[in-house]
This record gives sequence, C-alpha cells and structure tokens, in this order.
Amino acid sequence: YVPVKGDHVIGIVTAKSGDIFKVDVGGSEPASLSYLAFEGATKRNRPNVQVGDLIYGQFVVANKDMEPEMVCIDSCGRACGMGVIGQDGLLFKVTLGLIRRLLAPDCEILQEVGKLYPLEIVFGMNGRIWVKAKTIQQTLILANILEACEHMTADQRKQIFSRLAES
Amino acid sequence: RKRMRAGAPPPGSSRGNLGNGVHISEALPVITSASFSSGLGTGAVMAPPVRYCIPGERLCNLEEGSPGSGTYTRHGYIFSSLAGCLIKSSENGALPVISVMRETESQLLPDVGAIVTCKVSSINSRFAKVHILYVGSTPLKNSFRGTIRKEDVRATEKDKVVEIYKSFRPGDIVLAKVISLGDAQSNYLLTTAENELGVVVAHSESGVQMVPISWCEMQCPKTHTKEFRKVARVQPEFLQT
Repeated sequence: YVPVKGDHVIGIVTAKSGDIFKVDVGGSEPASLSYLAFEGATKRNRPNVQVGDLIYGQFVVANKDMEPEMVCIDSCGRACGMGVIGQDGLLFKVTLGLIRRLLAPDCEILQEVGKLYPLEIVFGMNGRIWVKAKTIQQTLILANILEACEHMTADQRKQIFSRLAES
Repeated sequence: RKRMRAGAPPPGSSRGNLGNGVHISEALPVITSASFSSGLGTGAVMAPPVRYCIPGERLCNLEEGSPGSGTYTRHGYIFSSLAGCLIKSSENGALPVISVMRETESQLLPDVGAIVTCKVSSINSRFAKVHILYVGSTPLKNSFRGTIRKEDVRATEKDKVVEIYKSFRPGDIVLAKVISLGDAQSNYLLTTAENELGVVVAHSESGVQMVPISWCEMQCPKTHTKEFRKVARVQPEFLQT
C-alpha cells in the first residue's frame, strides 16, 4: 500500500514514544500520529491509546520523500468516526481493488450484507477491514463472505446470500 | 614498548608534571622511517627521516618553534592535534614554523560564515539533512554532513508554518551558509535564510532540470508543472545560458 494524502486507513499502533505514536499502515514506513490529533485532546487530557490498538485515521502528509503523518481529526477539529476502534471484532486483509469496489457509491455487496445481520464495519483504504457482529460465528461468516467477494460473480454471491438468509 | 629513535630525544620531553596533574612521560613511541628501511641494503637511497606524530604528542617548546597548522599550544609547549607528518619550515631569522600535515594538501574545513554548496540527502518534517560538497568554490575530497533546520530555511515569516517539503526535496543542490560547527554527531548547522541562498539546481518529478520562476516556485520545462522550492537569487553574472 502507498500512502496518499486524504486516504482513510486502519492502522495498528506499534510504538509510543513521547508525543507521537508509530502506526503500522501496511506501507514502507510506519506513520506518525500525534497525541493531540484526536478530538478533545489537550496536553493535560491525553487520549487513551495503547500499543496494539486499532486506529482509523486519515493522512495529512504522505509523499515519497518523507514519513507519512496521520490524524484522527478532520480540518474542523471533529472526529467524524475516526479514532480508536472499539473492543472485539475482527481485522482482516483484502486486496486494495476490492476495497475500492466496496466503497463505490452503489455497491450491492454492502447492501446485501447489511440485510443479513446487524453489524459494524470499518474499511481502510490500505486493504484492511474491521468487522463486528453480535456473535463470533456471524463475524467469521461476514469476514469469509467479504474475502470471497473478490472472486465471485454476482450470481454466485446472490446464491450464497439466499442460502445464508434461509439458515 | 620499544622506543625507536633516529637522533637525540626531542628537546623538552623530559618527565615533568603539568600544572593540572597530567603526567607526560617520554614513553611515546616515535616510529621513524629509518627503522623501517634498515633492511633495504646499501644500494637503496635513504629518505630523510620523517617523523610521525599522534594527537596530543608534545612536540617542542614555544621558544624553539612557533605553532603552525595542525598544532596547538598549552602551558608553553606545542602539541600536535592531528595524526600525521611533522614539518618544520626553517625561516631566516624568525623561529621555524612547526606544523603537522596529514596528506599532501590540507583539508579545507567549512568555517562559521562560509558559503557551502550541498546536496539534500533526506528530509524530515523538522529539518533537512545534506551532504556538503563544496566550500566556496573548492570541492571537498570527503563530504561532510550538514543539517538545515526548519526555522533556518527562510528569513521572513519564520513564525509562519514553513514546510520543508515545499522548500527542499532529496537530490536538490542548495547554497547554504554555516552557522555553527554542530553537535557531537559532526553535523554542521546550515542556514538558507537569505535571498542569495537556497535551491540552485533541482529536478522535477519527471527527471528534467527545472527553471526558477519566483523565490518560491520552479517550473519543469517539459511538463510545465510548478513545484515549490526555496529558490536562491543567483547574481546574473554567474548564470550560464
């Protein structure tokens, strides 16, 4: 994955040094994330981020000459869904092309998955998806479906969804 | 340790206590070429004995010579500050000048206030690391490392956010001035905070050399894209068209 300015990605915190966190985003270098780049964070009020946490953020600096910098805040200072991703759930990797297909405006796959089970889902442009459903079995089913959508045709997909809806 | 000397022991090297408790003994080995060439045989012509010295070696008294390059004086004696050959230049009348030389030419070191030409090797959001290639107009045999901090890039609007990415890129040739000899990592501190300092030669993303348009922009003649750099205002007589 090549970091691009403005991309929203899911990163894993690998190190905490002083004022910045090092976040692995799947690129050639870990991105740096300042502890002030969260909503409502001040020097006294530090965000509760530990090594190993999942972070959903966007890049502010991403070019081929410097290490990328990301933030969990938009230009107005609001979180907009960014920040530390909550407990439980499953993080898995898919190809970059599938992510772009899933995030396209009219994506049938997403609508059908939404009808199956209630779920929370986060897409990172670096090929990472985080899913959470009510039970672990449902979560695993969703993860398998999304990974398989890469290679299935629309008909095969509809078959699988109808079979799941029945059972 | 074996002591090998060609002649009389150097004057002033008797045992003595310097004021601060440092005790210098005569046991510093002085290796001369006479000891190396002793096995050459009668046919070889012997070069005049060359004396090598190491940093910190006491050479002579201030009354017997005056210090030159590569030496320093302490407590009335001349000490060597480099590892190299000892050279005594006997002048008529005045005291001989004692200097220590490492190679045939002495290395030109960048001084504080000297204009240097350097090449950007890597950039960071806080500073840019450069290799110093030329001091003035003389090329250096070994390149030194330098740092240009974010605050030292521009003279005006220093408080405004200066982006290193919009001033330099890796591979640019930059004219800078030395402000300090730097810290323990031997990184000279440089500045480009003048109109005549800054990027002189830069290549665009397509690999073509760019033409400066203003003090903060350069344009690629092939793709006509503009890129941001902190451009140096070179005097017209130095420009070659």
